[in-house]
Amino acid sequence: MLLSFIAYLSILLFVGISAHKAYQFAKMPLHGRMELYPVPKEKGFEHGGSFYEEISWWSKPHEVSHVREIVEMFKEILFIKTLFDNQRPFWWLSYALHLGIYFIMAWTILLVAGAVSLLNGIVVAVGSPSLFGQLIFYLSVVTGVLGIALATLGSGFLVLRRMFDGTLKKYTTPQEYFNLLLIFAAGVTGILTWGNDLSFHYAREVTMNLITFTPFTAPGILILHIIIVGIMLIYIPISKMSHYVGKYFTFHTVLWDNSPNLKGTAIEQKVKKATSYRPTTSWSAPHIKGPGSPK
Amino acid sequence: MINQKDLFPKDMGRPDEQLIKLELDQLMPLLAPYDKPGMEPPLTDPKPAWKEKYCTSLDGYVGLDTLTRPKSKEEEDEFVRKFISGLGKIFSDANNGVLEPLLLSFEYCAKCNTCTEACHIYAASGNNELYRPIYRSEVLRKIAKKYFTTSGKFLGGFVGADIDVNWETIARLGELSYRCNLCRRCAQTCPLGLDNALLTKEIRKIFSQEMGIAPTPLHTKGTMLQIKTGSSTGLAKPAFLDTLEFLEEDTEEKFGIKLKFPVDKKNADILVLHNAGEFMAWPENPVAFALLFDAAGINWTLSSEIMGYDSVNYGIWYDDFQAKQIALMQMKVAKDFGVKRIVVAECGHAHKASMIVGDRMSYGDARIPVESCLPLLWDLVKSKRLKFDPSKNNFPVTLHDPCNVVRQMGIVEPQRNVLKAICPQFREMTPHGVDNYCCGGGSGFAIMSSQNFPEFRDAVASRMKFNQILGAFKGSMEDRSIPKYICAPCSNCKGAMRAILEHYEATEKFNLQYGGLVELMVNALVGMKKPFLEFLED
Repeated sequence: MLLSFIAYLSILLFVGISAHKAYQFAKMPLHGRMELYPVPKEKGFEHGGSFYEEISWWSKPHEVSHVREIVEMFKEILFIKTLFDNQRPFWWLSYALHLGIYFIMAWTILLVAGAVSLLNGIVVAVGSPSLFGQLIFYLSVVTGVLGIALATLGSGFLVLRRMFDGTLKKYTTPQEYFNLLLIFAAGVTGILTWGNDLSFHYAREVTMNLITFTPFTAPGILILHIIIVGIMLIYIPISKMSHYVGKYFTFHTVLWDNSPNLKGTAIEQKVKKATSYRPTTSWSAPHIKGPGSPK
Repeated sequence: MINQKDLFPKDMGRPDEQLIKLELDQLMPLLAPYDKPGMEPPLTDPKPAWKEKYCTSLDGYVGLDTLTRPKSKEEEDEFVRKFISGLGKIFSDANNGVLEPLLLSFEYCAKCNTCTEACHIYAASGNNELYRPIYRSEVLRKIAKKYFTTSGKFLGGFVGADIDVNWETIARLGELSYRCNLCRRCAQTCPLGLDNALLTKEIRKIFSQEMGIAPTPLHTKGTMLQIKTGSSTGLAKPAFLDTLEFLEEDTEEKFGIKLKFPVDKKNADILVLHNAGEFMAWPENPVAFALLFDAAGINWTLSSEIMGYDSVNYGIWYDDFQAKQIALMQMKVAKDFGVKRIVVAECGHAHKASMIVGDRMSYGDARIPVESCLPLLWDLVKSKRLKFDPSKNNFPVTLHDPCNVVRQMGIVEPQRNVLKAICPQFREMTPHGVDNYCCGGGSGFAIMSSQNFPEFRDAVASRMKFNQILGAFKGSMEDRSIPKYICAPCSNCKGAMRAILEHYEATEKFNLQYGGLVELMVNALVGMKKPFLEFLED
């Protein structure tokens, strides 16, 4: 029962705190423009161009491609393209970790789907009469094995790389080692818990008990694993590992914004509101506050 | 002094001793013909008197000439207190216009170090730790965590809040904020989209907006002078009108062309805004604009109103308050003037100040549209409104991409289209376009001339650009009979070019020339009876 409670609470807090962070960023005051090219939605994306390459740009339609923006966004999310382009050795480790996390997310969903199937009498196994049951079974095996292996290896090797790379070592704080070690610990306890049964029947059974609040006898390693994963899920959104939230804003509302302040636009309304705001804090330099400074 | 390889961010708090010293043989090697010993001037030590007066304890260079050593413990403490007070303010509503990008860059750095490879100053310094983009950011983070976060207060070193904060730490950080050109090339490569240049500028802002400390050429002789007289050059209206008259006479004398600058012309379509420095340092640039626009029959004008004849806005490099004042004053002058649009001439930071930074400072009827001169210039070529003879420009030409115009505004093609059309020997630098390297003069460096700062600019900040130039002209560099032209369509970049060519005696030794885009266009005009470019007259 307690384990069920931990599982539900940690997932809820993970989603809730992440959403709260996103909301906090979304409601921040309008900032000045800080685009960096190439901006994917722009017509001149291939050469890094913008609407400013046109004469009387304000009188022409601003042609944007949101499809291209989404494609570029997915390249970042699925492949961490910028890191791949600019720092390949680091990408291998970082991508292993991130891909592992994606697989584990998929695996978790598949375990829940498998557990629900079992509850509904669908056999989830190699020889299941249900094609759906077979599909869930095989996908669970692939995502589970790859996910746990990649996330554990990725986080482990990232710790080692930081420890033994003279430069990274200088800039890595103890907390940053802790972040990676927490994921690594979740991975290792995962291997110890689920490693004996790569068909994941046991994992599905545990999932079924967890989601239905059914009491069951849990070995120590399983309790430890669930507690570590629970702590990790709550800790991630409050730490800088919540960069999955930040990254959306750095790209979409800062680097790729590109919304000029033209008459009749939504931006104009925001500018109007922002320029009428009177800050409660003010700067103290003589040219701002001193005698003779502008009022 | 510390071996730079052993330098840690927390070393910024070490007692009064120069942290590192740059040595010529450790800098990034230059390409031929500058790959031989003795081809560049040696690096010098700071004068002993400067050590007493300024902060030379970073790398021996002085960029912040208004940052002077305290005379008492009280002054020392007050200096630190003011910085911390300003540091708090960058996270407050006094800084709303930057708050979101600032918090993102402050919070989310994963220390992957990808930004380092992108930095021209880091590479030029021979990979010196002090100039690594995250070095500066990390020092700022450590101080901010120590004073402003709960985790920093309770967990200290565990979360990275492990720096001693004293006069030396803060003064060094102030100096270090002037070892970055704010070119934002590093931000382009960050997997999380974070911006070290933004954090650097915040340090400059704390110094200026809270502590009243900023380089004299940017502040006292820059924005303050501009607000007072209308131009950072100090050029008042009568002197501006005299200059135009002189240029008209000079043009007639040199080229036999009767030129009349339209000034304060009512009903003009376009108000052309030049960097007023052009009239003093490179008058051929505004003359070339006038010749082209007149030949094309464009209805244009200059303004002689205070704030109407100087497009510069140094505020965008160090002080948001100054930037806003100037941008709004410039917009008001143009609005009162009644023109349909403003065209910004060849000045990169003025492009960004008026079209990007100034874009969200006012709204509605207070504004008139602003555009870059570059699409208009390309249109003059493309539409065949003007006739050009490319054979007049038959010498090697390369293009420098001003960061503000290219990486930060996406104006990439028009200028190179012009060059491809009128310069048969045009060649690109590597890399170019949005991936370009800064000229080394960005964010005020080009005009910062206090103490030994020009040495840092010329030998380090501009080093990568100089190598790019040498690379672009490979094969023809050593032939003095061939003029080689660096086209830099930006006043500030031209300032940096002038400085590096002087530093390396490159014009004298190798006939390396520089200038803007319009000069090349006028030079190629079919109607011009003699070369417009002076170096072709020999």
